[in-house]
Amino acid sequence: MAVREQTGTSRLQRKLDQHGFTRRDFLKYCGCLAGMMGLSSLAAPQIAEALEIGAEEGGLKPVIWLEGGSCTGCTEALTQGTTPDIPQLVLETIALNYSETLSAAAGHSLEQARRETIEAGGYLVVYEGAVPTAYDGNILLVAGEKGTDILLETAKGAEAVIALGSCACDGGWMAARPDDAQAMGVQRFLSEQGVDVPVVNIPCCPANPEWLTAVIVEYVLNGTLPELNDRNEPAALFNQTVHDNCPRRGHFENGEFVYEFGSEEEAKGYCLYPLGCKGPQTYAPCPITRWNRSLSWCVEAGAPCAGCAVINPMNPQGNWVDENTPFLDRHKDFAVGPISFQPTTVAAGLTVLVVAVLGVHCAGMKLAGRMDGGADFEAERRWDARHDKPAAHEAAARAQQLYDDLDELGLELKNTGAHRKRDAAGRKKATAVEVAAKAQGRAASDNAGASAAPAEDAAADLADLLVRPTDEPEGGDK
Amino acid sequence: MAHLAHYREAHPLPMVITHWVNLIAMIVLILSGLEIHYPLVPGVMGIARGLHMFFAFVLVVNCVVRIVLAFVAKSAPAGGTRRLVRDYKTWLPQRDNKHQLWAWISYYLFLRREHPIAAKLGVPQKIVYLLIAPLIFFTAYTGFCLWGPTMGWPIFTWGTQLVGGAMNMRVIHYFCMWVFIIFMCIHVYLSLVEGASPATLIFFWKETPGLVYDPDTMNITGFDGMGKEPDYGETFKDPVRAAADAAAVAEREAAREGAE
Repeated sequence: MAVREQTGTSRLQRKLDQHGFTRRDFLKYCGCLAGMMGLSSLAAPQIAEALEIGAEEGGLKPVIWLEGGSCTGCTEALTQGTTPDIPQLVLETIALNYSETLSAAAGHSLEQARRETIEAGGYLVVYEGAVPTAYDGNILLVAGEKGTDILLETAKGAEAVIALGSCACDGGWMAARPDDAQAMGVQRFLSEQGVDVPVVNIPCCPANPEWLTAVIVEYVLNGTLPELNDRNEPAALFNQTVHDNCPRRGHFENGEFVYEFGSEEEAKGYCLYPLGCKGPQTYAPCPITRWNRSLSWCVEAGAPCAGCAVINPMNPQGNWVDENTPFLDRHKDFAVGPISFQPTTVAAGLTVLVVAVLGVHCAGMKLAGRMDGGADFEAERRWDARHDKPAAHEAAARAQQLYDDLDELGLELKNTGAHRKRDAAGRKKATAVEVAAKAQGRAASDNAGASAAPAEDAAADLADLLVRPTDEPEGGDK
Repeated sequence: MAHLAHYREAHPLPMVITHWVNLIAMIVLILSGLEIHYPLVPGVMGIARGLHMFFAFVLVVNCVVRIVLAFVAKSAPAGGTRRLVRDYKTWLPQRDNKHQLWAWISYYLFLRREHPIAAKLGVPQKIVYLLIAPLIFFTAYTGFCLWGPTMGWPIFTWGTQLVGGAMNMRVIHYFCMWVFIIFMCIHVYLSLVEGASPATLIFFWKETPGLVYDPDTMNITGFDGMGKEPDYGETFKDPVRAAADAAAVAEREAAREGAE
């Protein structure tokens, strides 16, 4: 009871009052927090109470907010320009001990605050921006100290490091080609340096302050970090795609698309998929939490998702910029040196090339006379001919004899089903009777032991048995 | 003169059916996949995605069925023969076409004049067809990495992480489609360029006359006219069929003479 009276006029409550937030707003926010933490919204009052007690006692958990190679956009998102919202007030009140951008103090006194917090231990680090490592880390100096050293020093004693924004997760913009700063994310940097501290990645450009507050509050209240997925992101937040929860999804399923900005379809709020929306492969809860006091977000405001939540923490080259540009194309560009191209260009180009080669090949087949049944068979496989196998030679001799016989009969074996017979070349049409007679002749000669005899002998036998068909038209007709 | 008789034993009926299923599934998958890549035709995205998933399962199941058939069914080890062996043997290196990779390549590059005597499948053909099965499974895997209901399964998130994210997976899946397209161009071209017999056999199970191959001596031994032309040489026909074919040929001859 005493506690409740106390919370009624807590410091946090007074601060909220000053900014025009009612207690109802605050409790609603605590309900949202509960949702993000995977708790029932019934936990909202308990969260509110815990936050207020923490605020009264002067910070539940000290937070050191470091700036790396950043544009300060994530801090900017937190402060929402001129109108701070509840997450910021909560965060400021409960914890923020050091922030280069937000702290009233500056210079030595601020650095002093950081050192004291590190010495006291039991703090969290929020790291904003990439870790630029070029020139042995000298590319980023803060207060005369290398940015990489500050991160190492601060992270070593921390209970956890929250990498805030895609740059902190894997280098982001900073690591995009050509990556002169040799930037990388916090997780990769710390693991390379052998610092064993849990890293929570909260991607997006900038990161949504509500996600940050949710993670910090969960840690403060439960003493545990949220369950992480394989990219070290809070699983409850980052395991579904933007596409899964998109308000334009119905238009996608209906096949109603915007193909051009400024079109009638755009006015109707159709799906932005053909304009290169990266929502289907971007894991982020943007459509749920939304932005700027849950007012709106990119796709709702009419811009295709640029996929800024795509991170590859251990591979800075997989940063969301290189993975998703050009933003208005369906696929990312591939780059070979200075040349970049779309996968479709390569694939379709290769296919056209193959078809062209086949066209040329087809002309070659026509010229070579192979289109109608293919070229003549070799009498014997080359391998067999070369390796001198008697059985193969024998079979080859028989096959050759067969071809000669068929040729003589004018049977041209073409692949047209009709099996035309040559007579234009002065060869006589083969009749069934003749063929049968010849076949019998072959069988007879085989039975006589010709199978072992050389092919020439068999041919000689046949010559005796048959009148050469080519002679007949000349003699017979005249 | 390299035209072999095309017997049904080369492609038994189950294989004709799996070939049809492959053809239809691949065509539908390619068309619906292109629509999913970029919705050129408005209004059919839902249909395209439904078809794409349905035929993806059809193609995978068909591929599994075909592999099982290889061990269950029998087919001819070479063109021009009705001899049957366990189908999988026609996919392994065969006595009939050992040492023939270069023979085939040089034939198609016009470096040699004569058509190689080979087994049912030429060596490059056999290798490419064998690669199609893994390609089907691989493409299906990359597809499941992108499909909403399965993309979160650990086995698929593992692959997605391995290739560096869903965008890369999407591009890989897309490239797989083009591999199928290129394969189909070459496959259709090579199977038709020397005549329609292979196509009429695999699609309509229609036999066409040609040279007869003896798997024992591994060479050509005769000509089977299939009742349209007189047979010649050794055709390994049973007497009943031989007599029927001869009668059919005689009838044709008589009809032709009558007409003249």
